[in-house]
This record gives sequence, structure tokens and C-alpha cells, in this order.
Amino acid sequence: MKEFRKNRQLYIMCIPALVLLLLFAYIPMAGIWMAFTKYNIKDGIFGSPFVGLQNFKYFFTGSTGMGPKVIYNTLYINFFGLIFGTIVPILIAINFNEVKGKVFKKVTQSAMFFPYFLSWVVVGAIVYAFFSTDTGMINRLLSGTGHDIIRWYAEKKYWKGIIITADIWKWCGYNSIIYMAAMTNFDPSLYEAATVDGASRFQRICYITLPLLKPTVVILSLMSIGRIFFGDFGMIYGIVGNNSLLYDEVAVIDTYVYSAMRSLGFSYTTAIGLFQSVMGLILVSLSNHLAKKVNDGEGLF
Amino acid sequence: MEKMRTHKMHISTGDFLVKLFAYLFIAFIAVVCLYPLIMVLSVSFSDNLAVTKYGYSALPQAFTLDTYRYLFAHSGMRILRSYIVTIGITVIGTFGSMLVTSMISFAISIKDLKYRNVIAYICNFTIIFSAGLIPWYYVCVNWYHLMDSYVALILPSMFSVWNMFLMRTYFQAVPVSLYESAKLDGASYYQIYFKIALPLSKTALLTVGLMYALCYWNDWWNALMFINDRDKFPLQYFLYNILSNVNAISSGRIPSGAAANIKLPSETVKMAVTVITIGPIIFLYPFIQKYFVDGIMTGAVKE
Repeated sequence: MKEFRKNRQLYIMCIPALVLLLLFAYIPMAGIWMAFTKYNIKDGIFGSPFVGLQNFKYFFTGSTGMGPKVIYNTLYINFFGLIFGTIVPILIAINFNEVKGKVFKKVTQSAMFFPYFLSWVVVGAIVYAFFSTDTGMINRLLSGTGHDIIRWYAEKKYWKGIIITADIWKWCGYNSIIYMAAMTNFDPSLYEAATVDGASRFQRICYITLPLLKPTVVILSLMSIGRIFFGDFGMIYGIVGNNSLLYDEVAVIDTYVYSAMRSLGFSYTTAIGLFQSVMGLILVSLSNHLAKKVNDGEGLF
Repeated sequence: MEKMRTHKMHISTGDFLVKLFAYLFIAFIAVVCLYPLIMVLSVSFSDNLAVTKYGYSALPQAFTLDTYRYLFAHSGMRILRSYIVTIGITVIGTFGSMLVTSMISFAISIKDLKYRNVIAYICNFTIIFSAGLIPWYYVCVNWYHLMDSYVALILPSMFSVWNMFLMRTYFQAVPVSLYESAKLDGASYYQIYFKIALPLSKTALLTVGLMYALCYWNDWWNALMFINDRDKFPLQYFLYNILSNVNAISSGRIPSGAAANIKLPSETVKMAVTVITIGPIIFLYPFIQKYFVDGIMTGAVKE
């Protein structure tokens, strides 16, 4: 109590933020109860009949097979997004470190960072400019070189690839800055010593830069793995919208929850969200534990 | 002697190739990142018939301002409305976010605060575990009545825990001795916050403020969730609606007979709306870019 009297002003300054968390993060947790009921409006969240794990069972074994499918899509898109979303930014950071020239660096970095500033809706417009059937750039290239055009927005098999590419495109500049930040902390005497010993540029990259980047790569990957069950709703919806022809192929858990909300009810979709959150909690805790091992006792949080 | 020289030559050729590759690679990525944008810009300044005939390209075809003229004549009011909505939520949202975030970040950056780790944990837990979309949506709609309300576009994204930790890192860089001497002079924490911490962290405030502003500017998720009234559409959601109609027809989902009855915005109009949406970002980009780089670097070093 003495503490609260002494630092009253500081605690008061925390209140607005904590109230927002209470409203939009903690109070909604009460609604998790819906996952174990068969919710109806008349009886409300806590009065609706209890059904145990039935909603979860339907998600995994339901006859539509949508549950396993959206889990697969989510993991697939996030996994390849993680792999290429690590490789490309590292390549950018390493190569950027080798180039000189203030103007060249400034112009190229500005260009690479720009996609980060665009919303997924705008990225969706750009994807459309490339893949639209009649006017899209890709089809013009195809027909110009004597190939058959493709009705991209009706052919679902391409879209996981397109979405992963768009994801890497949007984030590559941003992520490369994180790796560059790590590289500014590397000890320059290591490089000088290696140069004196006759190591080539390529050798310096392979034997000094890459090993030193490893902890950063591990930490960032662990953070992504913690969120691997969470699809990027904005990305999927911004790029393909609610196009039903592509839906099966690119629906992730989050977009499935949104579209099933009205047709399959609140209880079922709450259960899916809870599954996601629990998987997230487990994976984040595991990642945090591993991060402490590689990062001298310092975890992700 | 002779041998050594060739050896040295060999190394420098290798180095030269590595360097050459680096320049080409960086230039290539830069072009890949920028090209789509140039294409969008060019198409918006092109003649619609030329675009329909020759497809999208990086240079304007038959340069014209007709699309923009058409757009402002036919849906000028709607675009203006969306613009005002977006600017309104961005300004109010960013201001509110900054106040809320800077206060709590300042408080938990003070070592004297005994329960600052508890408070940090309360914040952190919301990153690790969330109720999920449906319970959140349920309480927002049924308990807080946010449907079709501007509040729905501002309040749910007003406080970001990530930004709080970023800002705390900045506040921790302020020398503690400054606070201590102010305390000795009888200053309250409110005064220290307003008169010392905030003025000394101007760059930090600008960085975090811009991050919030970008989030509000680019947000359409809250609108998708809560807004049905067309008059309240923010800019991004306005664009989303134009594109998703187009998407439905080009996939063949709507039969062509029916499609004929729906008046589609032309190719150039779609791209012009996109340009209008990102316009302010393009103009401000040269000035704001460095603050984002700084913010990312500060966050990254902390990790």
C-alpha cells in the first residue's frame, strides 16, 4: 500500500493502457467459454448448453475436411514464408554491406523498404495488376511470347506461391534492416584480422558474417515459429478477397474463422480460435525456452 | 615473388566478382520492389482504351489525367469522405496512442516503480495468449456496441504492446540523474514526464508516432469487422471494396450475363484509387523513412 501511495502518479499513468488491454484483450477471454457450449442468442454466453469438446472434434474430423485443410494451408504458407523470408533479407543485408556509394545505397534502400509502407489492400491491387486475366502484365508477357494465357484468378494451384512471394516482397526490406542492425554490432577487428590473413571477401562473408548472424536468425525464426498457427488475415483477404474459386487453396485458420463465423456459429469458431491460441501459447513458451539457451539467458520476452 | 603476385591478383578478381554481384543483386531487388509501384502509377495516368488494348506497363500509355478527372467528377464526394474518415482516425488515433503509450512506457522505465515487472507481464501476456477473433468481436459488438461507430476504428488498435517496449527502450536511455535532480527540486512524476522525459525523447516520440500513424492509415481490418455504413468507410476499405468486386468477376464466379449489369470500374480507375490511397505516403516517404529505420534498429538491438 505504501508503494502505491509513494508512486501513485506512476500507477495512474499506467491506467489508460491497462484499461485498453482489459477491454480488448482480457474481457474477451470470458467469451472463450463459448467454445465449450452450443451458443444461442437467447441464453447468452453463459446460459447456452454445455457440449464439452464437441466443437473441437468437429473442427478436426468434420465431414467437410476444412479443419485439417486450413491448418495445412496455414502451416505451409508460414513455413515457406519463414524460410524464404529469412534467406532473402539476409542476402540483401550481406550484399548491401558490400556496396559503396552513398547515393546508390540511399536510393536502393528506400526502394526496398517501400513495400513495408503499403497496406495489404494496396498489395492486392498490385497483385491484380500482374495477374489480371485480360490486362495483367504476366498474361501479356505470356501471349507476347506465344504462350497460352492463364486465368490466374480461377486457377487455385498458383496462389500459395503468389501469396508467399507477396509476403516476402512486402517484408524483405524491413527484415533486412534488422539483420543490418545486427551487423553494425560486429567487431570490425575480426574483419581486419581476416583481411591480414589473406581471406577473400567471400571467405569473410562465409566464415565471419554468417556465423555471427546465426543468433539473430535463430531468435527471429523462433519468434515466427511461435506464431506459425496464426495466418495473416490481412494478407490473404487483401490479395484474394473472398474469391470462392481460390478459397480452398489459400484459406488459413484466421480467414476460415471469419468466414465460418456467420454460417457455422460463434461456438465452433471460438473453439478454432482457442485451439490456435493454445498452440501459440505452447509454441511461444517452447521458443522462449530455446531462445534463452542460444541467447545467454535472455528470452524473447 | 612472381607467384605471390598472381595469388594476390586471383584474390582481387574474386573480390571484384563478389562486389559486382552485390551491386547487381541490390539493384535487382530495388527494381523488383519499386517496379510494381511505378506500374500502378503509370496505369493511373494512362488512357483506359490503351491499357485495355496493350495491358499494364511501366510507362504511361497515351498519358492523360482523364482517369483522375473522371474519378473526382463521379465519386469525388465519396473519396473525399473516405479521406476525411482516414485522416480523422489517423490523427485522433495516433494522438491518443501516443499519450497512452508514452505514459505507461515512462512509468515502467522508472526503476523505483516496484511492480513495473508485473505491469510489463500483464502487457506481455496479451501477446502470448489471446481470446481469439470471435470472443473479441462478440464483446465489441454486443457489450461495447461498436458496430458502425468511428470508435471501432480507433480504440481497438490504440495500444500496442510492441510499441510500448520500443518506447521504454528509448526512455531508459534518458540519464536517471536528470530525474533524480528534478525529484530533489520537488518535481512530481507528471512534471518529470512532461518537462524532461518527453522533450528529451523527441526522436523516439516521432518514431513511435509514425508507426502508429502508418497502422491507422493502412487499417481496413477494423472497418471490415465493424463498418457497414458506406459513409464511414476509411480509404483502404473503400479500395478493398472496389477490388473485391473486380476480383469476383475476373474469376468467373459471377456469370458474364450478370457481370454485364454490374458497372465495373475501369482498369485505370482501380489504379488511380490505389494511387490516391498511397499518395500521402509517397510524398512523406523521403522525410519519414529514417525514423522507421531507427525504430526497427532500436527494436532489433533490444532483441
